[in-house]
Amino acid sequence: MLLTRYLSLRSLRARPLRVLLSMFGITIGVAGILAIGIANQAAMDSITRLFEDTSGRVDLMVTAASSDSGFSDSLARSLVNVPGVQMALPILKAQTALASSSAQTELGLSFFGTNSGGLILYGVDPLGEPQARDYTITNGRFLSEDRQAFEVVLVENYADDQDIRVGDRVGILTPYGVEKVQVVGLMAREGPGQTNNGVFGVLPLEAAQQLFNRPGQVDQFDLILDPKASSPIESIQEVLQKRLGADYSVTYPAGQGRRMTQMLSNYQIGLNFLSGIALFVGAFLIYNAFAMTVVERTREFGMLRAIGMTRRQITQQMLVEALVLGAAGSILGVLLGVLGARGLAAMMSTLLGSPVQSQLTIPPAALAVSLSMGMGVTLLAAALPSIQAGRVTPIAAIRIRGVPRQGWFQRHGWKLGVVLLAVSTALLIWNPFADDPLFRAGSMVVFAMFTGITLIIPAMVDAWERWTRPLMAAIYGASGALGSRNIQRARSRTTLTVGALLVGVAMILVVRGLTGSFAADLRVWVESYLGGDVYIHSSVPLRADLARQISAVDGVAAAASIRYQPTEVRLSDGSFEAITYMAVDPAAYSRVTRFVFSDNRTDSSAALSTLAAGDALFISSVLAEKYQWQVGDAVALRTQGGVRTFTVAAVVVDFFNQGLVVTGNWNDLRRYFHSNEASTILVSVRDPQSVAAVQTRIDDLYGKRYRLSMDSNASIRARVFNLMDQAFSMFDVLALLSVLVASLGVVNTLTMNVIERTREIGMLRATGMTRRQVILMVMAEAGLMGMIGGLLGLVFGVLLSRIFLTGMTAMSGYRLDFVMPASGILSALVVALVISQLAAFPPARQAARTNVLEAIQYE
Amino acid sequence: MSVLQASQLIKRYQLGVHEVNALNGVDFEAAAGEFVAIMGPSGSGKSTLLHLLGGLDAPTGGTVMLAGQELSGLNDQQATLARRRSIGFVFQFFNLLPTLSAEENILLPILIDGKKPAEFKERLDQLIALVGLEERRTHKPDQLSGGEQQRVALARALITQPAILLADEPTGNLDSNTGKAIMELLRRSCDDLNQAIVVVTHDARAAAFADRVVFLRDGQVERRLQLAQDEAPAQRMRAIIEIMESLEL
Repeated sequence: MLLTRYLSLRSLRARPLRVLLSMFGITIGVAGILAIGIANQAAMDSITRLFEDTSGRVDLMVTAASSDSGFSDSLARSLVNVPGVQMALPILKAQTALASSSAQTELGLSFFGTNSGGLILYGVDPLGEPQARDYTITNGRFLSEDRQAFEVVLVENYADDQDIRVGDRVGILTPYGVEKVQVVGLMAREGPGQTNNGVFGVLPLEAAQQLFNRPGQVDQFDLILDPKASSPIESIQEVLQKRLGADYSVTYPAGQGRRMTQMLSNYQIGLNFLSGIALFVGAFLIYNAFAMTVVERTREFGMLRAIGMTRRQITQQMLVEALVLGAAGSILGVLLGVLGARGLAAMMSTLLGSPVQSQLTIPPAALAVSLSMGMGVTLLAAALPSIQAGRVTPIAAIRIRGVPRQGWFQRHGWKLGVVLLAVSTALLIWNPFADDPLFRAGSMVVFAMFTGITLIIPAMVDAWERWTRPLMAAIYGASGALGSRNIQRARSRTTLTVGALLVGVAMILVVRGLTGSFAADLRVWVESYLGGDVYIHSSVPLRADLARQISAVDGVAAAASIRYQPTEVRLSDGSFEAITYMAVDPAAYSRVTRFVFSDNRTDSSAALSTLAAGDALFISSVLAEKYQWQVGDAVALRTQGGVRTFTVAAVVVDFFNQGLVVTGNWNDLRRYFHSNEASTILVSVRDPQSVAAVQTRIDDLYGKRYRLSMDSNASIRARVFNLMDQAFSMFDVLALLSVLVASLGVVNTLTMNVIERTREIGMLRATGMTRRQVILMVMAEAGLMGMIGGLLGLVFGVLLSRIFLTGMTAMSGYRLDFVMPASGILSALVVALVISQLAAFPPARQAARTNVLEAIQYE
Repeated sequence: MSVLQASQLIKRYQLGVHEVNALNGVDFEAAAGEFVAIMGPSGSGKSTLLHLLGGLDAPTGGTVMLAGQELSGLNDQQATLARRRSIGFVFQFFNLLPTLSAEENILLPILIDGKKPAEFKERLDQLIALVGLEERRTHKPDQLSGGEQQRVALARALITQPAILLADEPTGNLDSNTGKAIMELLRRSCDDLNQAIVVVTHDARAAAFADRVVFLRDGQVERRLQLAQDEAPAQRMRAIIEIMESLEL
């Protein structure tokens, strides 16, 4: 203990700057991992809580499995007959709008697609409802017992916005036109009042069935179980599901949130991987710092050995230093991580289109993982130098200064590097990790790959230096050539710094390459998906023949209706997966926009006529990859008329509903899904200049009557791309963090080099080297490190992004064409060079300030 | 005609709370082709004097004129250029760049000056022949002995044909035979190249190679001794040791 106080802690205190610099790598890594952990939890909690709040004391929910068209309310009887079920509360969901509100609503965009806005009304059982959910009535009263009364309770904030008071009779849109209902009360925007972001109201069930022309129908039954029931909730759910059959699904209220959070998971894996990389680069820094300490303190260790300290004691003292450093870095990382989580949570709210709790709790698991990662990585990185410190001989104390030995790693490390590189590359290409959802094994292989490259660097430094010396001399002048040569000295230090830069640059490229490829595909799809010029949507269902009327408007070239129908597809194991059935009239659709076929040899007119003939589907490339479906295969969908088989006519690029989408024709929608309403209408205009004018014309003719909202496709695209860029920017930030950590390595290494070469720099100054030349000499050394790191990073960044892309296709079904944006390559190189120069400046200035007199007497 | 002339040099500096008078009004001069040795006990100010003469440090008072240029009034940039072009240094520790070969180390001042080494080929060959390193031209410092390294350092100091060559204990880190060889080389540079040389040493045998010896004590010149190079080396040495003894150096 005393030893620790005298040796380890004092040694750390003696080198505050280096300690801080090397600690920072760990801090950033830990902060990243923790921030992502916290934000994940917050997103999950917020979503789950939203569903819990809005579903109150409901234990289970019964919905139709196949579509959103509802089922008979008579099901209630058979539900309450199931032992354990105390109450079955019906809900009829209606999307509508107030007749008084302005027609245009902003189209909501998020990871989950579009949200047309508008008022959501639930038809409920006025008597049973208060037992399931707590409505806080702030004004007036709750619904009366009269199940047919045309009365409504609205959320207070929404009513205030719309200038509605208790007692008012408001007009709402129904299939019969505007109908009046009386506002009898207002509820607070909490609990069930949070539904649809507070644009919500409840009215009696039978009144709702009558108003929205759905007699005898409901969309959902909420079940409250008998608290004294002997069987657990899981078994009741099973019994219900078995009894109701496959046409219904019995779920837990919070289960809805799970699907939402799952969609974020790929995004989160990416974030986690990148913070792991930051920590990995941090490990390089720690190793470097400790290796430097060993060289620097050789005399001290020799002396300690001479006066009787054992090897083990010395190694232990070094490890204690590492432990202190790791702990301090990790704790700092935790503080930084909590801050970072706030930003990340805000980011996730944008992506989810739903607020994520800003009050964050730190999940103990995330805290434990990030702390132990920080400490573990530090100890691991310090292990080898600590052992080397123990091997210092007592005779070393007598020598003037520590002679850095050419260790095994410098001489033979490249062999191990080649093996590591070959094995890891092979593993990544072969990709046996398809079943590893968190990409843990994959990350390890990537780390092994980077370690491999780093081990090879010392073997090629000589050659690099010789080739690039003329370039360095041209850029930095005469002293630049000297600086360039200096890179061959202190080789292990240089190697790790170059390695750290390399990893940072490679990560920038991987991020740019992957997001670039993904964005390119997404763009192509968005362009076609948002084909035409105007996107028409409504907060109420659109009539299918409206498209025909709109196409007759002056200036309109064509208009096409699109319907998004929720359904399920049967998988090979007999289970069903929820997907979207997108219905179009192939002829009208082709006039407005086009399909993007994933195989560009597809005969588009043949495919379209197959689709038009009926009983055929275009499936998304995601589904095709995921389930190995091909053109000509039969795919079974659940429809109103039972499970029906369709033939795959083509594979198209379509990312609607995360790619879980098939396209069919409108007649099949009518025939099999018993629906004839459009979700959106795409319009193309004759003259691109007249988009605004045509939009006004359509609005004048039909806007008020059909509650149309219109957006020019250009503006929607801009917003979609903006959302996309925001999502991707997080990756860029994390990749940049790795580079930042690497730049700290440059500062560290050069500072050490400058200290080590003090006497030499003094001699050069005495011999007539100006301060400027000294600065250029150090900058040249850093510039060369940046160049080697940048170019190698470029090679491995491109290689890795290609490998990742292939791996992603196997795992998720996204097949992407590799696109490496030129900006990515350029920015990676520029970042490596600029960062290395910026980082070199402080040590370079320190070198230039060397006091010649002191330096030439410096031992 | 003296190339280097210093008059009334004063150097004071702060050492902790104490003010140290390192030099107290020293006059010094050296002519082209003249070899001057500065002797004195530790703390006598001999290294300080050399540093002021070489423009490595600025005096508190007095002036240093080198080849008609006032050194003491120069800023850092000007002093650096003066060192680069008009002054050659040889240190006790050889201070060669480990990444450069012997030849490249010699050409270092040329490289720093941004000139083409090829233009100095003749001078380089001449110096390499002078220091006797024809066989060692491409060797790196770690392949050279201490004496060889110091010869490289000497050639490096001479490559720019400096107005003055300053050497601080050039034999301090060498065995006596190697040290003697280095002093002989300095002597030959002085004679053959008409080079002005100032050497700081506390070794009487090394000082015996000089034309003149200046004895310093407590920052002041105590004695000046003119030596005739045609006298026997032992006799010259005896003259130096006698003065050292009389001054209790």
